[in-house]
Amino acid sequence: MLLQLGKGMIVSVEIFVLTLLFSLPLGLIVAFGRMSKNALLRTVTKIYISIMRGTPLMLQLLVVYFGPYYVFKIRITNHYRFIAVIIAFAVNYAAYFAEIYRSGIESMPIGQYEAAKVLGYGRGRTFFKIILPQVIKRILPAVTNEIITLVKDTSLSFAIAQAEMFTIAKQIAAAQTTIMPLMAAGVFYYIFNLAVAAVMERLEKAYAYYR
Amino acid sequence: MKLLEMNHVKKQFNGLEVIRDISLSVEEGEVVSIIGPSGSGKSTLLRCATMLERMDSGELIYLGEYAARDRDGKCVYAPKAELKKMHRYFGLVFQSFHLFPHYSVLKNITDSLICVDKLPKQEAVERAERLLAQLGLADKRDAYPYQLSGGQQQRVSIARALAKQPRLLFFDEPTSALDPELTVEVLKVIKELAKEHMTMVIVTHEMQFAREVSDRIVFMEEGVIKEQGTPEQLFGTENERVREFIGHLSGGSLLT
Repeated sequence: MLLQLGKGMIVSVEIFVLTLLFSLPLGLIVAFGRMSKNALLRTVTKIYISIMRGTPLMLQLLVVYFGPYYVFKIRITNHYRFIAVIIAFAVNYAAYFAEIYRSGIESMPIGQYEAAKVLGYGRGRTFFKIILPQVIKRILPAVTNEIITLVKDTSLSFAIAQAEMFTIAKQIAAAQTTIMPLMAAGVFYYIFNLAVAAVMERLEKAYAYYR
Repeated sequence: MKLLEMNHVKKQFNGLEVIRDISLSVEEGEVVSIIGPSGSGKSTLLRCATMLERMDSGELIYLGEYAARDRDGKCVYAPKAELKKMHRYFGLVFQSFHLFPHYSVLKNITDSLICVDKLPKQEAVERAERLLAQLGLADKRDAYPYQLSGGQQQRVSIARALAKQPRLLFFDEPTSALDPELTVEVLKVIKELAKEHMTMVIVTHEMQFAREVSDRIVFMEEGVIKEQGTPEQLFGTENERVREFIGHLSGGSLLT
């Protein structure tokens, strides 16, 4: 049982890592769109964020997975299941991260931009050297919250029968009529999140050298 | 030689005329103070000169080079590359310092020298250390801005501006965020610079200081220059409004 759950956990971790890998940068791009001077781009990203936050992630998973078949009559392969999970999660979490980035960027005092401009920093250099490092420090607690939620949200992929830890635990529980696998899965998620919290705390400490 | 020339500058914010036709020029080595009541447009004028605000109309000229020309009442700025070059001619010290909180004192000064001006790192560090020693901050080299007093932070920001070796240095109310004790240490630094004939334009509410340090004082009100002259001329003026303003800020003790 533990061996099977362990395999499932590897898949859960894969979902977790890949989602962060794609959604963190994607969120920054969406945040730029949300703050753009271009009204069309601003509206489009606003609607996108609104839908991502306003509908269930489980529903989004189903749409991404079954959508190609129902809409375009494309045959869904088994291989696509995992890809669908990553797409749905990345696109959903990017919306949340975008709003976190935006709140951080908009909280930066204008004086930082002006000081940089007078010293000759260009726009890109100002953002990446002066603004972004300070934004990251400010948004770390909010990002930690999202990441911890993501660990637990990976279990939603049972909705399209992706064989990650929760799906497997449920299968074993049903086959052997015991609740133990579900309890074990719970412990796994908890330990996973303890580790995540520890990492994020270290990161916050690393940024604590200034105020 | 004229380092800065501003001709017929106008600037509105949402229909409100903040600067109404101001012309001002600054000679090399000259120290010009700008005084006047709040909302008179002093800071906006400085922000136009340093290109943090775009003028609506008028001309902006640095060392004879046009940063902005007037074409039929509209202001046309030079291409970006030229403006970038002209940015090297001046430095600006802000009221609330605007140091980069995530950089050490040293890095606040050297970072732009290294990554913008392409100075070798060693040379940038040596230049910064020299300035820090000169401003009495040698031991603060590795401190972060939050560990410094307001006066120290402002001196670091002066060092940061000086490190770029500007021809002209602007100060936007450099002591308004400081308590009286810390004000003294910052004013002392500016006086030292004046002795070394650094060209400076200073927006300030410190009348005694303006009187001591300036070659010329400009009194601004309601978006225009109401009066200007040497400190002796301005503090002995017949102009009732100017007398009232200076008297109010200095308790009358400075008027002659």
